[in-house]
Amino acid sequence: MSDSSILACAGYLPLLRFDRGIARKDLRWSGLGAGGTGLRAVAGWDEDALTMAVEAARGLGAVASSRITFATTSAPFIDRSQAGMVAEALGLPPSLSTIDSAGSRRAGTAALVRALDSRATELIAAGEKRLAQPGSAHHLAWGDGAAAVLVGQGPGLARLLGQATVNVDLLDVVTTTARGLPYAAEDRFVRDEAVEAVYVPAIRQALSAAGLTGAAVTCAILPEPVSGTYRALARPCGLACPNLAEEIAAKAGDLGAALPLFGLTLALERASTGDVILLAGFGNGADVLLLEVTAPQISRTATDALMQGAPLTSYSRFLSLTGALALDWGPRAEVNQKVSASTLARHGRAMHGFIGGRDAAGNVQFPQTPVPVRPDATGPEPMQPVRLADEPAHLLSVTADRLNFTPDPPFVFGLVQFDNGARVAMELCDTETAPAVGAALRMRFRIKTIDRQRQFPTYFWKAAPVSRPPLNAEKP
Amino acid sequence: MASGIKDKVVILGMGCSRFGERWDMASDMLMVEAVEEALADAGIRRDQIGAAWLGSALDDVNVGNSAIPLATALRLPPIPVTRVENMCATGTEALRAAVYAVAAGAEDVALAVGVEKLKDTGFGGLPIRTKGSVNDLWMPYGSAPGTFAQLAGAYAARHGLNGADLKRAMAHVSWKSHQNGALAEKAHLRKPVDMDTILKAPMVADPLGLFDCCGVSDGAAAAIVCTPDMARALGASDLVAVKSVQVCASNGWELQYGEWDGSYMRNTRIAAARAYDEAGITAADIGLSEVHDCFSITELVTMEDLGFSNEGRALFDVLDGRYDRAGAQPSQIDGGLKCFGHPVGASGLRMAYEVYTQLKGRAGARQLGNLEFGLTHNLGGQPSNSVAAVSILGRL
Repeated sequence: MSDSSILACAGYLPLLRFDRGIARKDLRWSGLGAGGTGLRAVAGWDEDALTMAVEAARGLGAVASSRITFATTSAPFIDRSQAGMVAEALGLPPSLSTIDSAGSRRAGTAALVRALDSRATELIAAGEKRLAQPGSAHHLAWGDGAAAVLVGQGPGLARLLGQATVNVDLLDVVTTTARGLPYAAEDRFVRDEAVEAVYVPAIRQALSAAGLTGAAVTCAILPEPVSGTYRALARPCGLACPNLAEEIAAKAGDLGAALPLFGLTLALERASTGDVILLAGFGNGADVLLLEVTAPQISRTATDALMQGAPLTSYSRFLSLTGALALDWGPRAEVNQKVSASTLARHGRAMHGFIGGRDAAGNVQFPQTPVPVRPDATGPEPMQPVRLADEPAHLLSVTADRLNFTPDPPFVFGLVQFDNGARVAMELCDTETAPAVGAALRMRFRIKTIDRQRQFPTYFWKAAPVSRPPLNAEKP
Repeated sequence: MASGIKDKVVILGMGCSRFGERWDMASDMLMVEAVEEALADAGIRRDQIGAAWLGSALDDVNVGNSAIPLATALRLPPIPVTRVENMCATGTEALRAAVYAVAAGAEDVALAVGVEKLKDTGFGGLPIRTKGSVNDLWMPYGSAPGTFAQLAGAYAARHGLNGADLKRAMAHVSWKSHQNGALAEKAHLRKPVDMDTILKAPMVADPLGLFDCCGVSDGAAAAIVCTPDMARALGASDLVAVKSVQVCASNGWELQYGEWDGSYMRNTRIAAARAYDEAGITAADIGLSEVHDCFSITELVTMEDLGFSNEGRALFDVLDGRYDRAGAQPSQIDGGLKCFGHPVGASGLRMAYEVYTQLKGRAGARQLGNLEFGLTHNLGGQPSNSVAAVSILGRL
């Protein structure tokens, strides 16, 4: 076993929370959605697995990793290196080793197992925004979100005590590329098989590898394919601790490949040194890791993400945001927004990394231009790259536009003034109501535009309020 | 040393189509409607025109590229014909080109035509356009009301004003124009609208409600310009001269440099200062203004940018009725963009048409007395990235 450990971790959830009870009420006529309780985190129209993974990774602070893994089962691209885009969005060099881990909800834990077994410093960013059909259990049970973990040499937050993997082609839920939506097996069958054929053997092997009994485990993060799974396996495995995955599922939803890493972040935020965490990934088998907490996690990204947000109270808006309802937005939505590969080749890195320039006199601007915007500039000047993604800024002017098309009106945009002098016309996000002139802002990596004819998203940054409102999880 | 164009060029004739939802009229028919009136007013034949400029801003829903559509619509003789485009300043750009050609001595008679056929887009509002392949990667896709709405918050913040007070003044701007538009035979919207309706209208882009926004319509306008000597030789009298036509375009200072506070339009201020200087007058000499009231807040802020109101005082001057029909400096006496709508390429020439008509004393029920100088103003683009045009017409 290598000396690698968990060096840092962070979680991210989108702003909106949908009370599943709203769907239950709306679907009462149909008899569907009966199991809906708790809250579901709902991504903005301009968020996907990639953008949320980037936001989670930003929660790690400055990292110096040599490898990046992007883990998801809901990748926006089948043939495009999204790990490479994560690197661009984080302003990391283009020379990093990058890989996209997909094909199973274990994409996150599988990457973590391999990273802990290597001597490299690796950033694993997992994000998930999965489509499901309204009326299905998964449409309400799943949630959107992301988490990121940095693995590397030396002491960190947690070290690996033991690990086991069991591969079983159990189709509790399966999504084919041809159908694009999940298809679920019977709950009772899934629970029995998940417990007996997958989890119990995997957990026992991991405990054995770590030289521990279940009683030593202080916290579990064990994704449940159906509720009651953990309750059924706890006794045979000797586990008596709470399962954080259940809490996350109730407050945000099953985050798929990102759930274990989000749960790990939450567990480390609550843990004390010496605690033992059982971390599991589930999907056509299971990965089980036993980790010893070696230092307290200072930041509270997962805790904050669960406690902050805004209620989404409309079922039809929920359907629209989850891709389940195609509204007729009228002719104003027909604008051609095709982007050519050559334009992206020239400008993509500056857009994804939000890289402006500092001119010869020190003024910062975005985007870079041959002749600087500085009034006394007399001709072309060389510019030094300046990343704006992490710069503080405030709002100079703003409006909530209800005329031009946006998939989730209104379209809030304005002029943003950065403290370092740069000024950029930007779209705003994470705003249920437009902030006031002068409001402090932070930057978020988002989808800029979706070319609706070719279903091609472009990515840029949007300005968001610095903090989110507290969310009363009991009464959304 | 440039000597300017003051009084080197006069307007020999003007024409303006009826503005509105001209479902039965294509661009060529609108141009013919405006130019036939201008030719009759000027008392010349089209083969006496030496050069022509076509102003058309939105080629994708309008006449298409180039100036050929103008030459074809009018069956002009083989003369130089050129299309110009500078967003909402397009009509004034066409006029500027024709005026400069005559002032330069290159032509005796020149024609400027502006036209826009907006109602063939199939939806309300202005067409949605790309901002260019690179800008589309980062610039917000905001609507025109969305970009101009931001003036309101920035203006209120700069001057410490209450948003509700500003909204009431903005409503007065629209109320006044609707009052005036009722007397303009060629206007699109001719019904007076009460203040309560304006204030309670649905929001388009906060804080701009429906009646804070100008109409969208089809229309064309035309001017035939020549030297004073040529006009006299043709028997014209009571001549209306061009005192100045000035244009100022953003270079990115507002959008990218950290100085501008978003509450005013520097381009308007610069263009106006140059125009007053060239005309040898001050803002106080302007008896009538036709300004770019694309949105109520634009007109309010423009009253300061043109020097009619002191900084921070436009709200109070508007509410005091300074720019109403009976006020000290009436603005939008024909109803402005608010009532004519804004067929982009035509608007600058439509404004000049009203000032010319007033100076000629032909405005009928709208006629103002004792008018020496009138001003037109266009603002293209958005406050943070704009083209401003200011022209001054007056008696020779």
